[in-house]
Amino acid sequence: MEGKTKDLARSRHNRQLIVFSVLLALAGSLDAWVFIRRHPTGVLAYALAVLPALPMIGIMADFGLYVAALKDEVMRSIIYQSMLWSIGATLGFTTVWGFLEAFVHIPHLQPLLVMPVFGLFVGVSLFLVARRYE
Amino acid sequence: MKNRLKVLRAERDWSQGDLAQRLEVSRQSVNAIETGKFDPSLPLAFKLARLFGQPIEEIFTDDEENSESAS
Repeated sequence: MEGKTKDLARSRHNRQLIVFSVLLALAGSLDAWVFIRRHPTGVLAYALAVLPALPMIGIMADFGLYVAALKDEVMRSIIYQSMLWSIGATLGFTTVWGFLEAFVHIPHLQPLLVMPVFGLFVGVSLFLVARRYE
Repeated sequence: MKNRLKVLRAERDWSQGDLAQRLEVSRQSVNAIETGKFDPSLPLAFKLARLFGQPIEEIFTDDEENSESAS
């Protein structure tokens, strides 16, 4: 029963992930096209600029809901620990990068790249933390 | 925390998968609890106790309790 519930929750989460990813790609493409061809200004420019952020926030919210609904204690613990490691690693990485940027003038790290960096750390952390419970 | 899950499971000829199904958790969770890598919550410990028809303290033993009885 738990297996079925977990599968349902996972497939729902996977579906949402696909939907948000498609929306992200569409919003990113739309922004690229509009800002290169039409040069929007004012409120419209602001609205269009934040558009790709909405699916990304949706992905995070959906993941949070998925984890909160997980009934398997070990899986939940693995994900929580991975999240903490990833948050720490991302903060550490961006702090180091920030100081390098300020004093050694390395290329500027776009804030929108923080999310993929965090995702990368989550993947590595999940793999390493899960191994402790095998 | 040590536990007697493996023995209790073997007595009933249950695989880790069988126990996982009865507990409504994943097989990995049963393995992690059985090998002492993860301490279950009280609700899950009670569920195990009910499933095996034994009090919690007959299934799980505190490490501190073990060291006290050994000395």
